[in-house]
Amino acid sequence: MTFEPIWGLIIASYLFLAGLGGGAFAASAYLRLRSPHCVHLIRYGRIIGPVTVIVGLVLLMFDATAGFHNPLRFVFLLTNFGSVMTWGVVFLGAFVVISLIVMIMDLLGAGLKIPKWLDVAGGVLGICVCVYTGCLLGVARTFPLWNNALLSVLFLVSAVSTGMAAILLIGIFRAPQEFSISGAFKKFHFFLPIFELFLVACLLFITANNAQGAGWTSVMNLVAGDCAAVFWLVFVLAGLVLPTILEWKMLFMSAKEVEESCLGHRISAASDVLVLVGGFTLRVLILAAAMPLTLIQPWM
Amino acid sequence: MARYGMLIDTTKCIGCFTCRTACQRQNGLLPDQDFIRFEQRESGEYPDVAIENVPLQCMHCEDAPCAQVCPTGAAHMGADGIVEVDEGRCIGCLYCMAACPYQVRVRNAQTGTVDKCRFCTVSAEESGTKMCTCVEACLTGARIFGDLDDPDSELSRAIARTNAAPIAGDLTESKVFYVR
Repeated sequence: MTFEPIWGLIIASYLFLAGLGGGAFAASAYLRLRSPHCVHLIRYGRIIGPVTVIVGLVLLMFDATAGFHNPLRFVFLLTNFGSVMTWGVVFLGAFVVISLIVMIMDLLGAGLKIPKWLDVAGGVLGICVCVYTGCLLGVARTFPLWNNALLSVLFLVSAVSTGMAAILLIGIFRAPQEFSISGAFKKFHFFLPIFELFLVACLLFITANNAQGAGWTSVMNLVAGDCAAVFWLVFVLAGLVLPTILEWKMLFMSAKEVEESCLGHRISAASDVLVLVGGFTLRVLILAAAMPLTLIQPWM
Repeated sequence: MARYGMLIDTTKCIGCFTCRTACQRQNGLLPDQDFIRFEQRESGEYPDVAIENVPLQCMHCEDAPCAQVCPTGAAHMGADGIVEVDEGRCIGCLYCMAACPYQVRVRNAQTGTVDKCRFCTVSAEESGTKMCTCVEACLTGARIFGDLDDPDSELSRAIARTNAAPIAGDLTESKVFYVR
């Protein structure tokens, strides 16, 4: 049997955008509490959050062909609370409502007058959305690469990392002064790809040693098979290692003048773009490399 | 209430795909929509080799993973232990396909909904009407359908006699048993 991945680029994009949006809003709520003077960066997070999640949801509905042709069927999504997807609908729905309210209030000039609890509630729901994207795959026992608790943590870290990268990327061009004084935020962001590297290594080791052969085959797909070139070059090298090196040079090895110069900003922007590319690639690879138990069958 | 199940004797299966074709006709499926998937297992060493044909289909698991993850309730446990799909509720999210360990659920390319073996043989059993089902069509009598809760049913007696077992042990509580 040849196995075609069940979900493709559209769902990978949805998982990426939902994580990015949830992570960006959570990062914006963190900024509001820790660095309230970064009003523009906070605003960018408040805009990125709902916009990307809504785009992701539209992609999801488009991919669910039967529902797309019969939209009333989406009402049934709230009928099985034993399903992770139903909980996802709850988190996504609540997140979109709260983040849209915050975004509109911010755009109308409320800024820091927006109640803190709204930011915190939106941030918590954003984190729930990030974790949900991992749990959605994690409960499918068919795929050893997905069916472990690490995947949710990896998706959460990647989501927060991409969310922060998106805020910083816009900040570099639209609010360079705020970007320059958001040192703590940038340092927090710097450590996330490193943490992600460790999580990916753990995920691969644990999955490869799964009792089912499908775990080993999935890992081999990633590190030495069809997905290997994208895994090593685009995800690990471009998406994790390069941003870490670039940010390390900018944050810890360069003079402040260099960090705040045009060249410094360009390097930071390149690093943030690479983080976004890495985040998207991670979702594509996790969907494409996973092999089901029935293909590598111990009983066959 | 019955608890329907099936026995598939791979020692009788010749891999002719008649069951699959009959199933497609009986259920009005599209040409690329197969409720029965064939796998082959090779064993032995040249020149003493053997090939076993293994038809795989919905196992109608008691603990159906597809029904557990289906967000709309389209995949659900129906009457008499048959896992059913309510097409009117299916949004085509394919979550059930990801959850099924046997990978035997198929997407209808026209409607986008997901479907799988319906144990349609039950209609023939209950009405006595001859149908074009996999059980009726099998040339070698490799398939037996019946009530697992009835110890005197042909199915229960065949399972006891042949020591038939689910294809993947206790991976799920399967109601399809295999003789191998």
